[in-house]
Amino acid sequence: MATLTHPHPVAKRLQATPLLRGLFLSFMAFAILLPVIWIASGAFKQLVDIFQLRILFTPTLDNFAAIADPPFLAYQKMANSLIVALWAVVITIPLALLAAYSLSRYRLPGERLILFALLSTQFLPSVVVVLPFFLLFRDLGLLDTKTALVAIKVAMMMPFAVWMLKGFVDGIPIEIEESARVDGAASLRIIRDMVVPLSMPGVITTAIFCFIMAWNEFLFALILTSREAVTLPIALSMLTTDEGDFWHLLSAAGLLVMLPMIGLALLIQKHFTGGSTAGSSR
Amino acid sequence: MGWIEKKLKYLLVAPALTIVTALAAFPLLQSLIGSLFVWRLNRAPGPTKFIGLAHYERALTDPLFWNSAMVTGLFTLSSVILTTALSLSFAMALSVPGRSTRLMRVLLILPFAMSPALIGMSFRYMFNADFGVVPALLGLVWEPLGHVDWLADPAAALVVVILCDAWGWFPFMTMMIMGGLRTVPREAQEAARVDGATPWQVFRDVTLPCLKPVLLVAMVLKTIFCLKMFDQVFLLTNGGPSHATQTLSHYIYTQSMRFYDLGYGSALSWLLVLPMAALVFFYTRQILLQSSARQRDAR
Repeated sequence: MATLTHPHPVAKRLQATPLLRGLFLSFMAFAILLPVIWIASGAFKQLVDIFQLRILFTPTLDNFAAIADPPFLAYQKMANSLIVALWAVVITIPLALLAAYSLSRYRLPGERLILFALLSTQFLPSVVVVLPFFLLFRDLGLLDTKTALVAIKVAMMMPFAVWMLKGFVDGIPIEIEESARVDGAASLRIIRDMVVPLSMPGVITTAIFCFIMAWNEFLFALILTSREAVTLPIALSMLTTDEGDFWHLLSAAGLLVMLPMIGLALLIQKHFTGGSTAGSSR
Repeated sequence: MGWIEKKLKYLLVAPALTIVTALAAFPLLQSLIGSLFVWRLNRAPGPTKFIGLAHYERALTDPLFWNSAMVTGLFTLSSVILTTALSLSFAMALSVPGRSTRLMRVLLILPFAMSPALIGMSFRYMFNADFGVVPALLGLVWEPLGHVDWLADPAAALVVVILCDAWGWFPFMTMMIMGGLRTVPREAQEAARVDGATPWQVFRDVTLPCLKPVLLVAMVLKTIFCLKMFDQVFLLTNGGPSHATQTLSHYIYTQSMRFYDLGYGSALSWLLVLPMAALVFFYTRQILLQSSARQRDAR
């Protein structure tokens, strides 16, 4: 990594003033951690600890038990989130890999147009996309089903997955395939026996990215579900009542939303760099 | 070669492309047509009466539409500037090797992993007037700041929305800029320094021009996502107090899903999509140019 071995002059100056840099970095670290820590600690507080803004408190697991009961049913929602995100990833990745392979290896007529279209669909506002699908799923009787959620999330993640996997397939040297082709292997077999294993790191990374996207997605789930297929992030909007917000329960649900994703994100930490995620949708 | 072999390249892209086209074309067409009809979901399941462009005319005289357009514009402008400035300085500070740099790179992942909805909720929790941690901390710095009711004051609420959005986005932008910093030729910086330029001059005259493509792409991307922002606002302020933070996306949601006025909601959707299309066109063209340049370099 060039920047690390050759620091920028401004960075060198910053290095020469460690106090200033230290203060800036500490402030940023604090700012990044504050919401995460505040949610995580709130999850173990009693409501009275929250109202009194206690930093020191006796941790309790009651909140995690309370959100299990009706009307919250957080663990049922968590299971929904898990099932929907898993299915969406399992359907998206193979289709995206095939498309990425074709876009990477062949000359297609209108190839640039295809890539262009793929990228631009990422930027459609979810609220614009979801309303017609709400009506479609209503007419099909699929409102409030996991099937509907999986379908729309597959469509939502597909452009991102194709784009990201294409980057990985581009990186596989074509010579390996050419020698197999000379030996008479058919293309589909080449894909199965060579491209899939070789692009496995890329497939896993892309799958984790997609899983996080599908898990965190909010608006589609908000509009397309009501009881049975509700996902966990939606629980965050349900714990607000006329009597006020149940911040201890909200925090507990929030911790359930973020903890698994933080774990997954740390697994693919090194891939969180500019280029490869330029089309990522949030 | 068999038929399948010959057509293979098309067969491979077909499923993915069909799905993506369905996702994009179907809603856009449906809302374009729907916007020309009276379509009240609470009265009839489908569109009832053709009224031409009446919904668009209605939007032009609808103060709440203009309000949401203003809020979206103000929010986008502030958030893009704040996020870019923060990311640029952070990326510069992190271009020094060391333990703290490695640690910060790990921390940068946290906002990525968090659902935007959860980010919105956590900011509402932290800025609560009675027991929020941020007013409490600010009160330690300067006492009167502790008494600001952030979410009840229209201007302050918008500030919180902007902060919340910047928090979720600056790590991503920092990483993009750090990637860009790697492409700045070290020789040019050294040469400028030997010629007696101050670090600030090197930054302004050498580094910044080299970063321009990356910054441009990052800022356009950020602008696009700002324009369609919904999740955070929904759980942070829900558009309030009294529409002060109601973005266009939120107004579309309100008209369509709360008032069930799908015809008007569809027209508003197009009023959001059209200006975005120009930006998206610019952004995707830029990305495609860069990626084909990379492929050329690789060959």
